[in-house]
Parts: sequence; C-alpha cells; structure tokens
Amino acid sequence: MSTQVPSSLVTQPDAHSDKESPRWLGPLVLLGPSGLWLGLLLVIPTLLIFELSLVPGIRPGDIVNPSGLDNYGLIFQPVYFRVIGRSLFFAFGTTFFALLLGFPVAYWIALIAPKQWRNLLLLSFVLPLWTSSLLRSYAWITILRPTGVLNSFLQLIGIPPLDLLNRSPAVLIGMSYSMLPYIVLVLYASLEKLDRRLLEAAADLGANPLQVFWKVTIPQSLPGIVAGALLVFITSLGDFVDPELLGGASSMTLARLIYNQFIGATQNWGFGSALSMILIFLVSLAIALLIKYGDRSQVV
Amino acid sequence: MAPPALNSSHAQSALRSSGATRRNLLITAAFAALGYGLSKIRWRLGGNPNSHPSTPKTLEIYTWSSYVDQKLLDDFKAQTGITEVVVGILGSNEEMLAAIKAGKGGTYSILYPSDYAVTQLVQANKLQPLDHSRLIGLENILPKFRHSVHDPGNRYSIPVSWGTTGLIYNSEKLTPPPRDWSYLWQYPKLLSRRFTLLDDMREVMGATLKSMGYSYNSQNPEEIKQAYEKLVELKPHIASFTTDAWKDQLLAGDLYLAMSYSADAVTLMQEDSRLRYLIPESGTSLWSDTIVIPQPCPNETGAYAWLNFILQPSVAADMTQRLFFATPNQAAYDQLPAPLRNNQSLFPPDALLTKSEGIAPLNEAMTEIYDRYWTKLTSS
Amino acid sequence: MENLQRKFKLSISWQALFSLLMYGFMYLPLVVLTVYSFNRSPFSAKWTGFTWSWYIKFFQDGRILLALQNSLLVAGIAVAISAVIGTLMAVGLARYNFPGKQLYQSISYLPLIIPDISIAVSTLVFLQALWIGLDLKTIVAAHVVFCLAYVAIVVSSRLVNLDPHLEEAAQDLGASPVQSFILVLLPELMPAIVSGCLLAFILSMDDLLIASFTSGSGYNTLPMEIFSRIRTGVKPDINALSVVLILVSGLSFALAEYVRLNAERKRSGQ
Repeated sequence: MSTQVPSSLVTQPDAHSDKESPRWLGPLVLLGPSGLWLGLLLVIPTLLIFELSLVPGIRPGDIVNPSGLDNYGLIFQPVYFRVIGRSLFFAFGTTFFALLLGFPVAYWIALIAPKQWRNLLLLSFVLPLWTSSLLRSYAWITILRPTGVLNSFLQLIGIPPLDLLNRSPAVLIGMSYSMLPYIVLVLYASLEKLDRRLLEAAADLGANPLQVFWKVTIPQSLPGIVAGALLVFITSLGDFVDPELLGGASSMTLARLIYNQFIGATQNWGFGSALSMILIFLVSLAIALLIKYGDRSQVV
Repeated sequence: MAPPALNSSHAQSALRSSGATRRNLLITAAFAALGYGLSKIRWRLGGNPNSHPSTPKTLEIYTWSSYVDQKLLDDFKAQTGITEVVVGILGSNEEMLAAIKAGKGGTYSILYPSDYAVTQLVQANKLQPLDHSRLIGLENILPKFRHSVHDPGNRYSIPVSWGTTGLIYNSEKLTPPPRDWSYLWQYPKLLSRRFTLLDDMREVMGATLKSMGYSYNSQNPEEIKQAYEKLVELKPHIASFTTDAWKDQLLAGDLYLAMSYSADAVTLMQEDSRLRYLIPESGTSLWSDTIVIPQPCPNETGAYAWLNFILQPSVAADMTQRLFFATPNQAAYDQLPAPLRNNQSLFPPDALLTKSEGIAPLNEAMTEIYDRYWTKLTSS
Repeated sequence: MENLQRKFKLSISWQALFSLLMYGFMYLPLVVLTVYSFNRSPFSAKWTGFTWSWYIKFFQDGRILLALQNSLLVAGIAVAISAVIGTLMAVGLARYNFPGKQLYQSISYLPLIIPDISIAVSTLVFLQALWIGLDLKTIVAAHVVFCLAYVAIVVSSRLVNLDPHLEEAAQDLGASPVQSFILVLLPELMPAIVSGCLLAFILSMDDLLIASFTSGSGYNTLPMEIFSRIRTGVKPDINALSVVLILVSGLSFALAEYVRLNAERKRSGQ
C-alpha cells in the first residue's frame, strides 16, 4: 500500500495486457469487489454517523434534520476533557507496557529460539486470544482482587499484598495483556528480517551488547515498533471492557462514553456520533504525530 | 502455519497515507461538503422496521439467557403445536431498546423488557396493546402488578417476575449490620473501596434520594442535585459501579457489601451462609421484568400462545423454583413449597415494602437532568 | 572476545527467562479459567471441590453449541470472503495509480479506527433503511468489512517487500496475467494471507457489538451468549467451553505444525 510503488509494478499491466482485455479490467477485478463492499457497509454507515453528529440531541424515531455543530460544542466541558485525558493515558500506558514486555519476547522468538520451533512458539503465544476477551477480563478480577491469585502468591513469598483491582493499574495490566500477542506478532515479523550479520559486525567492532541493542537492533526494527505501537494505541483507545471491569468507579473512557450515548439512559445518538467523530480525529492526529516522530528518528 | 507478516511497512504506508495532514484536511473538507449535501435529505431515524412474516409454526422470542431453558421450550412446544421456538439472547435492556429503535423490530414476536423499558418502548410506538380477551389467567396476577406505574392495567405488558433492589452484605465483616442506605455514608473507613453500587443511573440516584427522605423518582431538580452532591462525597470510597462483577469478590470476602437486585442476591446466598440481603428501611425500588408483544409482530397467534403458557400457574411456579425469580402470579405462589414461599429475600412481606416504589417513567427533560448528573458522577 | 561471548550468552538466557515469564503471564488467566471450570461452586471465589458437571452441562447445552456453530460459521465465511477480496484489493492498490487512490486507502483503514458501537448502530440503521431482513448473512456482511481491512493490511505489507520482477519474469515467459497471479504471486503472498486470516478470524469470533446489532432473530453468536449469561447468571459452563476451545485449537495448531515440519524435513532430505 505504499504510495511509492515500484515503477515496474505500475507500468507492468500496460506492457503485458492482453490485446482483448481493456485497461480498466484489471483494476475493476482487483478493486471492484472490495470497493463495493467498503462503500456500502463502511462509507455509507460512516457518513450516517457524520450526519447524525450534526443533529443536536437526536433520538431514535426523530426526523433526521442536520442543523449544526451543537453536538461538538457539548464536548467543551471539563468532565469530558477528563474522560479524553483518561482514555489517552490508558492508551499510551498500554502501548508503553506492551512494547516493553513484548519486545524481548519477539526478539527471543525471532532471533534466539531454535528455528523450527518459531512458528509454534509464536502461535502458542497468540493462542490465549482464542478465549472470549470478556472471560479473560473476568479472570483478571480473580487474579488481582485483594485475596486473589496474585496476592496469595505474594503472601506465600512474604511480600505485602498489592491493592490493584478497581484502580488504574488493573486496567493497564488487563489492557497490556490483551495487546501483548498483537505486538509480539508485529515485532516478530520485523525482527525476523533483521540482518544478524549487522549485530555480529557491531559486536566485532567492540560495541557492548547494550550499544548493539541501541545502535543497531532498535533502529533496524523501528518500523515494526512504530507499526505495533500504532496498532496497540488505536485498539486500546477503543476498548471499554477492561476499563469498566477492572478500573473501578473512576474509569469512564471515551469509548465507554460513546457506548453510553447509543445504549444508555438518554440515548443521545447525535452526541454519540459527534464523540465517534472526535475519536476518529484523535486517532488520525496520533497517527500523524507518530509518522513525524518515526520519520525523524529514521533520519537520525 | 505461516509466520504472521504483519509488519512495519503496512504501518508506514498507513502513516504515509493518513499522515499527510493536507490530505486529511482535504478529506475533512469533502466530508463537510457531503454533510451539507446530506442535510438536504430528511429521513426518520429507525423509522421503518422491516417485518418479515414467519410461519405460524415458528415463534421468535428475545429474552434473557436465564429466562428460558430447554425444558420450558419443550413443554411449550408439546402444548401448543408450535414446532420451532427461536430464542434471541438479550444482553441488556438498553441494548434491546437501541436495537429495536434502530429498526430491529419485526424480527421478534415476544420481548422481555424490564419495567422502565416498557414505557420507553410504548413511547417509541414499538408495542402492541394486549387484547385481554385472548389472555387466560391474567386475573391470577397480584393486584399491585396489575396497577404498576410503568403500565397501569397491563395494557401492554404482563409481569413475569419481580424483585427489589437492596444491599447484600457479609455479616461477619459488618458490625453493626446495615439497616438503611445511609450506612454507606456512616462507615466510610470500614467500607472504603469495599462496596459496589449498581451500574444503573435510576437505581443509584433513586437510592440516594430515598436515603435523604425524598422519592425514588424525585422530579425536583434541587433534590436531584443534592443527591448528586451526596454521591460525589461517597465516590472516592466506591470500589466500582457494576451489575455483575461484584459476585465473586463478595463471596471471596474482598467486598463487604454490594448494591444488588434481589434475584442475584438470593442466588448468591445459597452459596454462602454469611451473606445477608437487606431491604433498606427508608424504602427501595420494586422492579419487574415483563413480557410484551412488539409492533410489528411476525407471529401474533404464537405470541399469545406464549403469554398464556407463561401465565399458567404451574409453569410460573416451576420457573420460580428453578431460576429464583419471584413470581407475581398468586396461583403460582400458592403452589410453591413452603421454604421458598417464606424466603423473605425472595418474597418480602408487604410491611417491608410500604415505603418502596416502582421506578416511574420520566419525561425527556427530567431524564436529561438525571443523565447530566450521572455522567458527571461517573466520568469524573 | 571470550568475554564478549559470555556477555552474549548471559543476555540470551535473560531473554529466554523473560519470555518464559511472559508465556506464564499470557496463560495465567487461562489457568484460572481452567481451575475454576472444575470447581463445584459456580462462582470463581473459593475452591469447593472437584466436579466434571460443568463439562457435561456444556456438552448437553444445545443453545451454546448452536451459538458456537453460528460463530464459527460467521467467522469462517467472513474470513473466506475477506481473504479473496482483501488480497485482490491489496494487490490492486499496490499495482495501480488512479485518482482517489489515497482516499480509497484511508477508507480501508477506517474499520480499525471507528468505535464498534458507532459502526454497529449505523450499519443497522442503514440495513433497515434498505428494508434488508436481518439474519446470519447480515452479520457476515458486517464482519467482512473489518476482516477485509486486516487481511489487506497484512498482505500489502508483504507486497511491499516482494520482488516486483517475479511476476514480470513469469509473464515474459509466456504466462497470462491470471496465470502469473495464481502461480507466482499467490504462493508468495500465502504466509501473509494466512496470518491476516488468523487475525481476522480471532476478531470475528470475539465481536459482540456488531454481531448483536446486525443479527436476525435467534442467530446468536458465542459472545452474545456469553455476555447474556454473565449478566444474568454464572459462567462455569462457559469456562469449560473456553478450555475445550483452547485445547482443540492448540492441538490442531500443533498438529498442522508437525505435519509441515515433517514435510519440510522430507523435502530437504531428498
């Protein structure tokens, strides 16, 4: 999906197109079905959201009559800023921990573990995703609660119990857990292509392991890191099950707020749609910032 | 299996494609233009539910997972000759309301909304008035459920179970035992982050209003504001707002107290004798789950057959014994074994309920006031 | 030099150890689920005794098996469709330049960004506006949208790294565009297609909101059944189901991998 398509790929259909088949046939066959599908079931619903966001306080059964940006104005309240801030905090925190925990695992599978075991290791790391995310979150309640699995273990080895459940740490643990397999998948693909000779060369030139890591491994796998971070950030911004189940009384996030507008007491679909558009905007903004950062560090 | 190849370059291209802010601007501008264009078209949101008539041999019901089991369905089929009962699973009242209002009506012949949801469905014109001449056994329903606030005279709904909202607590941990809602505010040290409240705006606000001597359904903005302020004071001590996640934690002793529906509390008390269920002295809410026929309805005859089946005392009594839901059916109650009939958590004596109220429907402006405070409370 | 090697070895064991810890982290909730699926009490609070009864209950529960079947059916069909049109889309976007291409690309990333609940509600509003009846097909149609996006993303990442001359060479040797696509490009893309499908399958199996809004009467998927059971009761039989699911899929992965390794060994042995 690069915009800089190799020229050979671009010119190739012209050079080789059958005499009978017209030039538009290829693009139509390749892009037509997906275009139709996305157009009908993604673009139109998204436009519907956008249209609804322009109707102040619309509820189901009302006439849709777009009349302005009032719904967007509602957002400028301290309460909602706090919600947005909290969502960003959870998303950034999750991204940070997922990277921190996921990188060594991906590194180990991709570069150290025996080659014939790699697929199996990777698959078994992803296997827990096969259970319902809801059940996994409930299992975390059992683990993190004051007399739960974790604290029983800590007590056994003489460490005072941790009060994690119903507070932010539990949310970060739960969300990082859900995201870890994804980030390992992404990082693995990027690390697997790493040129091992580069690492050896750096070591031969007298770099210590830490230097090799910072000067060779990290820059080489940076695109993978950026991609993984992006995926985790976007996904965790939309997660509302973990914050709700694990985060306690003060854990309202943007995704949950949107959910409440559609399926809540007031059912203000207009405001819900406006919040959805804001979430989309926030994510796009994050992507834009990440590219800027990613591009610069690639230059350095 | 192949190694997943999700890697850097897709992100880079994602970055490149959505990254250029200029292009984003262009897209936004295009969207804005489209939005303006769309503003010329007027349509009704969720206006035309598409009903596709089913065969008279099939009945589609939309209900809670625990309200139907295989035995119930088999008995129904044997009695009525309907060969297929399709069960849609309901996650929450709100999910059903949103789905029905967005146009998912017309696929079900029977719905199971709770009391306040009935009112909302009636207001949205999504329910059929019941033809009482086609119902058998309606007179067995207790008078207080025939004249409920949400549907006086059972014009649209038939109650299938009822209960109270109260506090379930661990009697070993709490001394003195709680007697009223005000307990939550009186023992902040003992209870701090050791109790949960329901994730339900009307119940939590109503209970707080009740603790201050006001109505569960107060329509006075000043009272609602006071209740909100009282809750803000309590907020740092609340472990969580949750409708179901408290159960394991209460059993394990990590929570000391939870605001709960009586049906959940009764089930949990079977597990642990230390747990007690309290109906607060200053009063609480009386809720009921009901059965209604939506408009449009694919199989009306089948729907009435289901209503009459559920109204049979033996069926209702059997359901109470298996699912621990209090039946509003007097004839069914009389058939229950004595221990169940005398279970005060399940069937509290009338004396305990004199101060309790049903959750009354609110108009739009009132709902908005409630919702504004609730959102402020839960978002902060 | 020796010193350096020792340092490397140290770092190796550190990473292996850490990875082991992370595997433990990933499987901890599953262990908890498994243990409590054998608990006599239906709640995950205290161990009250061993029982098989939840497994028996789950195998006799027609509704949960039907929900599982529905989920597998929806995910299977949605992923199959997405595999085909998602791959075509990725190839098409890599190959052609046309006006609006960037818009097309941005749109294909939308499913990752839009909140589930918004897309669920608006899809339902749209479907009912067209008087389209809801059933299992409508869930499939809605799921294809996000499955498509994930397949296309993974495949296009592979396309970028591909030698563009391969297909060209094939066509120079006389292969038609269709032949070169199937015989040259497709095998090269297969690993990416498979992993994209895996990802899409997992997401489709776990989707609650979109499915519950676009499903017709009685077509319950597994997440809908799980959610409703958690809301109204307890879930030990669902725990049992998860344990069975994990075991079955884990074993089939291992088996597939074993077969593949064997085949590879034979090939290299020849």
